[in-house]
Amino acid sequence: MPLPDSSAPLTGVTRRSFLRGTVALSGVAALAAALAPLRRLDDYTTVERFMQKYYKELTPDEMARVLARITSEVEREYGVRPHVRDLKPMDGVEFVYALNLTRCIGCRKCVHACVNENNQSRNPEIQYIRVLRLPHGSLDIEKAEHNYAPESVPEKGYFYMPVQCQQCKNPPCVKVCPVHATWQETDGITVVDYDWCIGCRYCEAACPYWARRFNFAKPSLPKDRLNPEMAYLGNRPRRQGVMEKCHFCIQRTRAGRYPACLEVCPAGARKFGNILDPDSEVAYILRTKRVFIQLKEEMGTSPRFFYYFDV
Amino acid sequence: MESDLPDTRTRWVLRGLFVTFAALAAAFVLDLWRHPVSSAVIPPVDPKFLDTATVRRSYADLVRAKEDLSDFDCYGCHERGKPPVLAFDANHNLVVPEVHSDVVMGHGRHNRNNLCFNCHDENNLEVFQTRDGRELKFAESPQLCGSCHGPTLRDWDAGVHGRTSGYWNRSAGPIDRKQCVNCHNPHSPKFPGRAPAPGPHLLHPVETTAVEPHGH
Amino acid sequence: MNAARHYLVFLQRCGRIAFVGDWRYYAWMGLLTVVSLLGLNAYARQMADGLISTGMSDQVSWGVYIANFTFLVGVAAAAVMLVIPVYIYNNEELHDLVIFGELLAVAAILMCLAFVTVDLGRPDRFWHLIPGIGQFNFPASMLSWDVLVLNGYLLLNIHICGYLLYCRYQGRKPAKWFYIPFVFVAIGWAVSIHTVTAFLYVGLGGRPFWNSSIVGPRFLASAFTAGPALIILALQIIRNVTQYRITDRALLTLRGIVQVSMLINVFLLLNEVFKEFYSGNLHIVSSKYLFVGLHGHHALVPWIWTAIAFNLIAMVLLVLPLSRSLRWLNLTCILSISGIWIEKGMGLVIPGFIPTPLGQIVEYSPSLNETLVCLGIWAAGLLAYTIFLRMAVPILQGRLSRANEGRSPDPALDGTAAPEVAAGH
Repeated sequence: MPLPDSSAPLTGVTRRSFLRGTVALSGVAALAAALAPLRRLDDYTTVERFMQKYYKELTPDEMARVLARITSEVEREYGVRPHVRDLKPMDGVEFVYALNLTRCIGCRKCVHACVNENNQSRNPEIQYIRVLRLPHGSLDIEKAEHNYAPESVPEKGYFYMPVQCQQCKNPPCVKVCPVHATWQETDGITVVDYDWCIGCRYCEAACPYWARRFNFAKPSLPKDRLNPEMAYLGNRPRRQGVMEKCHFCIQRTRAGRYPACLEVCPAGARKFGNILDPDSEVAYILRTKRVFIQLKEEMGTSPRFFYYFDV
Repeated sequence: MESDLPDTRTRWVLRGLFVTFAALAAAFVLDLWRHPVSSAVIPPVDPKFLDTATVRRSYADLVRAKEDLSDFDCYGCHERGKPPVLAFDANHNLVVPEVHSDVVMGHGRHNRNNLCFNCHDENNLEVFQTRDGRELKFAESPQLCGSCHGPTLRDWDAGVHGRTSGYWNRSAGPIDRKQCVNCHNPHSPKFPGRAPAPGPHLLHPVETTAVEPHGH
Repeated sequence: MNAARHYLVFLQRCGRIAFVGDWRYYAWMGLLTVVSLLGLNAYARQMADGLISTGMSDQVSWGVYIANFTFLVGVAAAAVMLVIPVYIYNNEELHDLVIFGELLAVAAILMCLAFVTVDLGRPDRFWHLIPGIGQFNFPASMLSWDVLVLNGYLLLNIHICGYLLYCRYQGRKPAKWFYIPFVFVAIGWAVSIHTVTAFLYVGLGGRPFWNSSIVGPRFLASAFTAGPALIILALQIIRNVTQYRITDRALLTLRGIVQVSMLINVFLLLNEVFKEFYSGNLHIVSSKYLFVGLHGHHALVPWIWTAIAFNLIAMVLLVLPLSRSLRWLNLTCILSISGIWIEKGMGLVIPGFIPTPLGQIVEYSPSLNETLVCLGIWAAGLLAYTIFLRMAVPILQGRLSRANEGRSPDPALDGTAAPEVAAGH
């Protein structure tokens, strides 16, 4: 039997629905308030960046606009006007890296030269190259030491092996990327379109060499250390939430120069060049040296990185 | 049979929810439990680890830079036609004369090569001599080193031993190949050790109380 | 047009009923909403600060988000466990309960999609994944397969539940061709969603811990243990709260499924342990880390042994007639679900990253923010499931039907009315 409705107002709002409505409203307010931290998001994305097409689909005009936008963004952020180019691979070139394990002394200068050249975040720290210290006589990675810090290198009884992206011929990272944000170019470099990557980190899980890095926070690098010579697929500053990795200093190598890690090595342990050119250093090495190691060869990745020994 | 007033328990639950939501909204807006993201303070790396200069400069470098070459003017002190006489100690080790005290000899295992005139020509101090009697100018020092270190010279010629910089693509620019003496002190060629650059830092710093056996 | 209008009225009534209930309902929904909001706030923080607010790093680049995702895909796949006895073996007892199972699958898939989204570094670029508009790396990338099968499974289950419930609402018999084929597709599809998720891991040659053929079967065995166990618990709660008729026989049929699956799960575990530890070759370092610790790091060891203990106790209980009693069965279910959640979460995802492919050991534990996001998604999922049930149970009981449309106040909103039509069709 219905109870007398003592509170039936003219508006038709009953007390029950009023209370429920108030709770619902407060819930919606709490929902909106929950999003408050998004106030801190500055420069996350703009409409233009959101709509930007995939690298391989950009027309030359669109690419020019993108490069201009990147130039002005970098200038605004760092106060330095960069020179950003979209360098294309050269015909008849396939890059190969050779590293002489007899010569590497483990000084880690390559790590820092790379960081400097490629505008990597200093905090959180991103380093493409990781130098491993291994005991004489074994290539067992489980015995590798990453944090050696002796007074002086090289240390007796050990050798050193720097590892970076191996630019594999059969790259697992390219296979697993759900959006084609990473692919291999004709000159052998596996590149990342930083504006296309969705940050799922599947490539990082797939890489057998632990070569890929993720921007867990907004990268920070000091303004006075910015390298203004940039390439779209190379060392232009990246954003929070995207992957990056060694790209053989694409802004240098596609202009014919040696990568930064090679130039700084005090022992001359690093060699780089075009394997298709029989007169190159790397062709000489692969022709004359007896023993090469391709790391984790059994993975079937076919790396373009060859470790070798002199003695 | 729907009553207009919800029963007491329901009303109290609803009122409680209202208060909770309102408090939550306030807490969110005021950012009450902001956890500052802890990251390590990583000091910037010492610029010496970014330096691409070689540790030494060759004679050719000095000539190119138009530096003072008086150190190489041997006959400023020595007399022509009078080969210098070497002094040895009781153990048949070379004693380097006082005036050349900057030269520390340590060439070869057991200092086998510690003899000035293995490389220098005692009859003409301004050139080198090889074991097979060739005469080499100062700027041609790699050939001197290579007269004993053959395989290394072959590799160096191909650009595979030693430091290079510049262009791998010779049609885009020149390669800059360093000479032996740019890295090796000819009198004591073994590389001295050096302090390594700092190692990597973790994203989330962990307090380490002990160093594990393998230092992982 | 008329049909569309009727459907809209149906939706409107369903929507309204979600906000009405007794004090227990409000308290439960209120609690879940609070936790969801805490999670949403934590996620907003993560969007602002980046994934550094989680415990993940370059060394352990997937964590509890993907662990929960993996577990929940299994739960979603296990909804099919109810479908098989009903449609293949014509088990009338379970007929209506299939809908509860499939609604759980829908909620689970929504949670999966949420977990994957919160794990992305750039969720604003989600459109890059849309085939045709973005760059969809199908068929090479297993993640692209996962996107397809998960969304397909979601649509499949929404269609089946939606159609059956709407037909029941309208009081008419559903047309067999409009749902039976989909049900059979769903059986195969359920197996595929979990196999594809397993292949995400198996396909990575660089991680020997995952690159093993046992991962796929193990996934399915553990999913078909934990999923029905969850359904057993959920059905008892539904029975208690809504007086919907669910027989003990239905629960015991499900117990049978959990029993067999758990036996297979434990057998596969033994296989794994033997293979890893007997030969002593070098590729077993991740297993060593997980089961006994490696170089002084042993954070996961207590977890995995707890999970194994839970699973073994649950297996023994399942085999004994003791677990035919509901109290013991519930304990067994809780043990199974916890054990398998640990196994599939910590026991699968994390050891794959420790040590890294270069031999470095960096341990992982979720940050507070990360945990809040996880709890928020679980709460939101439970919220969704509760809402689904809040709509489905009155429909199945006949209290929310076309026949009593248009009356004010809506008789379906009164929780004390007796069911007009007995349950079951």
